[in-house]
Amino acid sequence: MSDVLAETQNLGKSYPLVFRSRDRLRALLSLLSGSGRAESVSVLKDVNLRVRRGESLGLIGENGAGKSTLLKLLTGVLTPSSGSVRVNARVGALLELGAGFHPEYSGRDNIALAAALYGLDSAETRAKLPQIIEFADIGRYIDEPVKHYSSGMVVRLGFAVVAALRPDLLITDEVLAVGDEAFQKKCVRWIEDYLSGGGTLILVSHSMYHIQKLCRQALWLKHGEVAASGDVYAVTQAYLAYQESKSAAAAPDRASLLGQNLEFHLLDLSLNGTTTPLALMQRTDLRVRARVHSREGRAPVVMFGIVRADGTPIYGVSSEMDGVHPVRESENVYCAEIVFPELALLPGSYVVKAHPLDPEGVRLFDTLERGLTVAGASREFGLVRLRHEWIGADAPVQRAAASS
Amino acid sequence: MPALRLALHFIRRDVRNRYLGSFSGGLWALAQPLIQLAVYGFVFVYVFKADKVPGADSLGYVPFLALGLWPWVAFSEGISRATTALADNAPLIAKVALPRQVLVFAAVAASFLVHGVGFCAIALALRAFGVPLNLLALPLALTGFVQLFLLALGLAFVCAAVQVFVRDLAAALPQLLMLWMFASPVFYARESLPVRYQGWLDFNPFAFYPEFFRASLLHSGAVTLAAHALALVVALAMLALGLTVFRRLDPHFEDFL
Repeated sequence: MSDVLAETQNLGKSYPLVFRSRDRLRALLSLLSGSGRAESVSVLKDVNLRVRRGESLGLIGENGAGKSTLLKLLTGVLTPSSGSVRVNARVGALLELGAGFHPEYSGRDNIALAAALYGLDSAETRAKLPQIIEFADIGRYIDEPVKHYSSGMVVRLGFAVVAALRPDLLITDEVLAVGDEAFQKKCVRWIEDYLSGGGTLILVSHSMYHIQKLCRQALWLKHGEVAASGDVYAVTQAYLAYQESKSAAAAPDRASLLGQNLEFHLLDLSLNGTTTPLALMQRTDLRVRARVHSREGRAPVVMFGIVRADGTPIYGVSSEMDGVHPVRESENVYCAEIVFPELALLPGSYVVKAHPLDPEGVRLFDTLERGLTVAGASREFGLVRLRHEWIGADAPVQRAAASS
Repeated sequence: MPALRLALHFIRRDVRNRYLGSFSGGLWALAQPLIQLAVYGFVFVYVFKADKVPGADSLGYVPFLALGLWPWVAFSEGISRATTALADNAPLIAKVALPRQVLVFAAVAASFLVHGVGFCAIALALRAFGVPLNLLALPLALTGFVQLFLLALGLAFVCAAVQVFVRDLAAALPQLLMLWMFASPVFYARESLPVRYQGWLDFNPFAFYPEFFRASLLHSGAVTLAAHALALVVALAMLALGLTVFRRLDPHFEDFL
């Protein structure tokens, strides 16, 4: 069994309620005298987690769920109000962008400070400096005060510092959300390399794509409590389902859309027979079925599409393109069903969409979406598996390696 | 020791940052108390005719003032800078776990370093102008500076910790320090006070230091060994109190910053 790098037991945190300066004075006196605590609001309750060496844990949850507070408790910036935190590792942390950079000092000075905080002496810092500057890749800005940086540059520098320090335990908070695409890819690549080299990661992200790509475990925080934890696909799935049910409950636009009595609207959308978000193993069949109400009984054109969770379109097709017609179920109801045999999507989070169009295939009337998670242990890159064959003498060996 | 290395880093940054963007650079550290000395010297010598101050009569007022003023500047500046040290570094404290004592320590140490060097320089300068200053006693005087540093550090820990909770402190501090300066024998000697108030100076923990520096370097007045021992005990007690208060409040800083 590998050693535990971070562990919390019944961890809780509450912030004091202070509105007026009188409250602050009272808090000071009660803390000094060691008497009872002031009024407080609880932001984190009974969190138990354990991260072993080599593991990767994703923290997910809505804004204000306590993710950042949990990270701060793990890094020791905050002191727990109840329970305990144990961390047995050199921690590199990127909380809320930047590694605590001082805006008045230059990037170079801030690197030196971050290295000193991590415990490096000046010789070690000097040795790492070129590597950090190269990774950050912010050019002459390295000698400018950090206050002149864009937020992307701050993240670049922060990540570069952490990358050079190569901590035992890396704790990052939404780093991947900032920075341009190229830098994001660089970071993701670095983290993958770090993880395969035995590094340990705790990552907060709102991007299920990044969570699923980088983490094996996930922990979902809801209103400061653990709603679910365990395998990353199961937890993100539950989280997405919750999000979906919430947005469905709070979707007045759809009600008003139905109230407009449009010519076509969707009655339902099901994936493999269920109307809740679906978890699917890689390379299994996906059946998508949509039922459309037609006011005048005319046959609609039905369009299906798949996008990645971040909105990147992957594939879309309509009944009209393929020259087929939806099946008429009753006078005003049509049904369109499509199957994607051995779905080529790689593991990740996706959304399946359906739209009814008028018979001419011009006007789009309605949209329904369903979450789809593809699970699997594929190491391929990208969104979809393209059909391919390796050419040459070594081909059978390659194929055997790929399928094992 | 990482905490010490960190402290050195902050001290270096503090010293460098003081003069960053000022034309004269490090010279400013010397110039500022020098100008202050010149202004006070002019006002007291030429306007108030203060060279009649008892204890300073035979030597002139300026060296007398210099030996009281420099320690005071180091002391008061160290405390006022340390008071806001936590708030100044709030972005760091909010993101990185570090021993926060280091920030307070560095603020006080940087002040004492800069003005300690200034103190030595002014002592040498006065000697060069013919003031019969006992340079051999300079190392002894510097131990007094170290002792004063401990006293300042203890106070700084209290002020820095309290400032996190009660923001009014930083605003009130300059006034309090000004009051304290005039309640200390910086501009005057103990003997200048009416006799029945002279004993009150013993309740002022800073009062020992100007008298000590003048006694050791200028042979003006004398301090007893008992007074020296008492001042050391007070400084250490203040440091212990400061650390206790700081440690007790430390876990809650981030909640209130």
